[in-house]
Amino acid sequence: MDRFPLAGRLLLVGRLAVRDLRRRRAEAALLLLAIMTATTTLTLGLVLRDAAGDPYRSTRAATSGPDVVASTVRVAESAGVPGPGKPARSTELTELAELAGAPGVVGHSGPYPVTAARLQASGRTSDVQAVGRDAGPASVDRPEVLRGGWVRDGGVVLEAAFAGALDVRVGDPVTLDGRSFEVVGVAVTAAMPPYPKASCIFPCMNGAVPGGEAGAEPPPGLLRNPGLVWLTRTDVRNLTPDPDSLAYVMNLKLADPDGAQAFSDANHGVAMQSWQSILEDATELAGDSQILLLIGAWLLGLLATASLSVLVGGRMAAQTRRVGLLKAVGGTPGLVAAVLLAEYVLVAVAAAAAGLAAGSLAAPLLTESGAGLVGGTGTPSITVPTAGLVTAVALGVAVVATAVPAVRAARTGTVGALADSARPPRRVGWLVALSARLPVPLLLALRVAARRPRRVVLGVASIAITVSGIYVLLVLNAFLAGQPLSGGYGDAQVEVLRRALLVVTATLLSLAAVNAVVITWATVLDNRHSSALARALGATPREVSTALAIAQVLPALAGAVLGVFPGGYALFAAVNATTGGDGGRAPLPPLWQLLAVVLTTVLAVAALTAVPARLGGRRPVAETLRAGLT
Amino acid sequence: MQQEVVLAMLAKEPTHGYQLRTRLRDALGPLGDAMNAGHVYVTLTRLEKAGLIAVERSADGTERSDRKVYTLTPDGQQRVAEWIAEVSWPKPDLAEFHLKLIAAAAAGLADPLTIVDTQRRELLHRLRDAQRTAMAEPDHSDAALLLEGIVLRLQADLRWLEACEKNWTHRRSGS
Amino acid sequence: MSDAADIPVLRARGLRKEYGKEEGLVRAVDEVDLDIGAGETVAIMGPSGCGKSTLLHLLGGLDRPSGGQVRLNGRRIDDIGEKALAQLRRTDIGFVFQAFHLMEELTAVENVELPALLAGRSPRAARRRAEELLERVGLAGRARFLPSALSGGQRQRVAVARALSNEPSVVLADEPTGNLDSAATLDVLQLFEGLHGSGQTLVIVTHDARIAATADRMISMRDGAFVDETWLTGGTTGRLGALIGLED
Repeated sequence: MDRFPLAGRLLLVGRLAVRDLRRRRAEAALLLLAIMTATTTLTLGLVLRDAAGDPYRSTRAATSGPDVVASTVRVAESAGVPGPGKPARSTELTELAELAGAPGVVGHSGPYPVTAARLQASGRTSDVQAVGRDAGPASVDRPEVLRGGWVRDGGVVLEAAFAGALDVRVGDPVTLDGRSFEVVGVAVTAAMPPYPKASCIFPCMNGAVPGGEAGAEPPPGLLRNPGLVWLTRTDVRNLTPDPDSLAYVMNLKLADPDGAQAFSDANHGVAMQSWQSILEDATELAGDSQILLLIGAWLLGLLATASLSVLVGGRMAAQTRRVGLLKAVGGTPGLVAAVLLAEYVLVAVAAAAAGLAAGSLAAPLLTESGAGLVGGTGTPSITVPTAGLVTAVALGVAVVATAVPAVRAARTGTVGALADSARPPRRVGWLVALSARLPVPLLLALRVAARRPRRVVLGVASIAITVSGIYVLLVLNAFLAGQPLSGGYGDAQVEVLRRALLVVTATLLSLAAVNAVVITWATVLDNRHSSALARALGATPREVSTALAIAQVLPALAGAVLGVFPGGYALFAAVNATTGGDGGRAPLPPLWQLLAVVLTTVLAVAALTAVPARLGGRRPVAETLRAGLT
Repeated sequence: MQQEVVLAMLAKEPTHGYQLRTRLRDALGPLGDAMNAGHVYVTLTRLEKAGLIAVERSADGTERSDRKVYTLTPDGQQRVAEWIAEVSWPKPDLAEFHLKLIAAAAAGLADPLTIVDTQRRELLHRLRDAQRTAMAEPDHSDAALLLEGIVLRLQADLRWLEACEKNWTHRRSGS
Repeated sequence: MSDAADIPVLRARGLRKEYGKEEGLVRAVDEVDLDIGAGETVAIMGPSGCGKSTLLHLLGGLDRPSGGQVRLNGRRIDDIGEKALAQLRRTDIGFVFQAFHLMEELTAVENVELPALLAGRSPRAARRRAEELLERVGLAGRARFLPSALSGGQRQRVAVARALSNEPSVVLADEPTGNLDSAATLDVLQLFEGLHGSGQTLVIVTHDARIAATADRMISMRDGAFVDETWLTGGTTGRLGALIGLED
């Protein structure tokens, strides 16, 4: 090797790798597909994570968003707590106004009056918090008008996500507590998370009513999923006969925006929300989808590793002789390993690129709910760290899957490699002995399995991973379907989460299917000779085909059972632990559903393996045995 | 039977005629059964006349040739030494068969392939005989080794016939 | 075989096997007629590529003829289904291959018992039969060895034992000594002589004259057709001495 310069060596490795890949296009395509499925999902997850933060930030920039939103504290008077008296009210307002001069505050707008009201529009009603604003632009928190114009007397402006949820357009008539208004605009703000995550200036609750039916009345005095609307100050006052029941908000700009949380923690008897906490609320949903997708990506990564291992292991068996040749003409073990690794690294890089492209194209489908924030729709983009991480994972999968066989091949003695055409089958004595007592198809099937224990383990693992994924998805689906607005989710959010679930499920299933076919093919190819031999010795084609199929279905059954318990159970627990979710609320899937999953898995694997197994049982015997001579 | 072979069998020590025959039969095994006893004594007589061996009368004084004791003369010893040192090898006469095929084809006397087939039958019969005989021999006997040589030789001849067959098939289809 | 009532174990009539089409048509087996009587050992010889292995595969139902008939014990086997063929192979045909074709992960005795298991015999009966057969081929002491621990000759003897597992009407051997050295060839040769002696019907395809010389009958094959047939039975030439030039 020292005779070659480094560049020449790299060129040699590259050329050998490319030539080998070209010779096995179908296999290369399968490898690509397997890794690509994983990288696509991972990209989706990562892009969503970025998308979760970005629209809020751009909204904040466009609307001169506040660093801290302060409001007077309103306690639900009817909840039995004695209401603050009039003097207290004024004191509170004074305290709020004084914040404008507090140290570190460099700008403010307000205080603005806020009132609670009930909005009715084309048959739909909703609680709202109405903020009274000036007609002119404010220095802090200038809601960005997306359609129509800004507030005027008799005209109401709706927060965009709220308008979307109520399906209200500019020019529509609405009533607030019975008074008629015209919708004059739709706007976004960074001072409050979009509907239905609004901050509670008045006592309110988002999401399902505890212990109540959907649609049941919330406790009196408590707003339910309030929307945000803007009116003129006059209109707000006109809506509220008693000025004491008004609340006030004030938007503050700080010298140090990063210190917003500390500022609000440090201050005083006033309710305050920092922009970071608004950000968190605003992007909670995207975060949930992202966790789903990241879990999916990890599962898919494991599946991809399993299918790669099978493919690579099968190829190594066929390649042992080639390795011997390479070594016989002077390749060092290092060169041999390098060529093998280079092949899969090439595939991995291509798969990473394809996955990044596919992932970023698919991401908008999952981020539509970003409405309510500027730039919230369809603009998630790939960042350098995302691309790096996805590529690294793809490479990691390739390296992990190929390292063992590559090292083994490189270490094989040259003479041994030249003499041995293939990896010798393993012997599992007790299985052979046990199989002797079984009917012919089972006898052959167990021996097929016993020849390659590692492949059986990979098959079991692959199915177990898939089924545990499906278990978790079933739980989440039941959770979303069974309780509308559960976990604080609105219809639109549930829709998005469901879409994320669907994406993960679809990719998980397709990769599992690819895996099943790959493993079956590897088994069929590997058993060409022994299948032909069994037939020469009197096994019928059907017996051989059945055996090849059973050799896949038995591990699938084991994998499915393991996937339900402990696989799915453990995975769900892990998901709960990482998301800090409250798993107790989610019902575990009923027994019949789990049985159905196991049964469907087995049937699906049987169907997928039927064709390769049938072909494997019908190859011409004489030809195969003759080919075995060389 | 070559004279030198008989001469060399006597080189170890003065030998009775019957001992000589036993020695030969041990070395040749079943093949030696076909050996004509008279043939050996004719050879011995020739060697004696050539002055290569001397005859000692046996102790009991009988005239029977198998009771006579034969010894090498110095000339005989020299002849044996020369023979041992000689590089000779029995050569099968393939040229004759080869020319037979060519002549038969050229003159249209017979189909060369028929000749090849007939020859093969003969050789296969011989091979079968040699092989059966070899299998009946105990392991590691001298005769088994000789038979192995004969079998291998016949195999080689049969392979050459195969080549002849291929060649003449080709010529026929080519012409 | 002069008795007309005798049904030959194997009978082929007008047997053909063709590969390719039109210009590239190859007649691997070309109108072959063959009768093999019970207890007979027949050798089929010919240069490589003459179609002798294909013929053997046709006779054993491993391959389908393009034309003609094959009868095994009087029953046609060229037009029956794959399943029926497989069952026939279990009960009536034993194969011995040049490359041995043993299952590498199975011990000698497990290899030998496999056909019996495939034929649905009880595990115990199959094992007992396999042990007997290994004893018969002189490998009783190696029953638990994997093929990789056996010499070439031993492997082929295991393969012969396997072929005998279900007491087939005929054993078909394809170049059984092709991968063996001279000493191992002798081993297998002796084994075949023994089988012959016990009345086993044997068809051996070979280009090893030594194997062919053990047969009752030798058939020469050229370009897919039989061109010569020699009966080797009828004792020795009686002229052993001729072999070493002791007589002329």
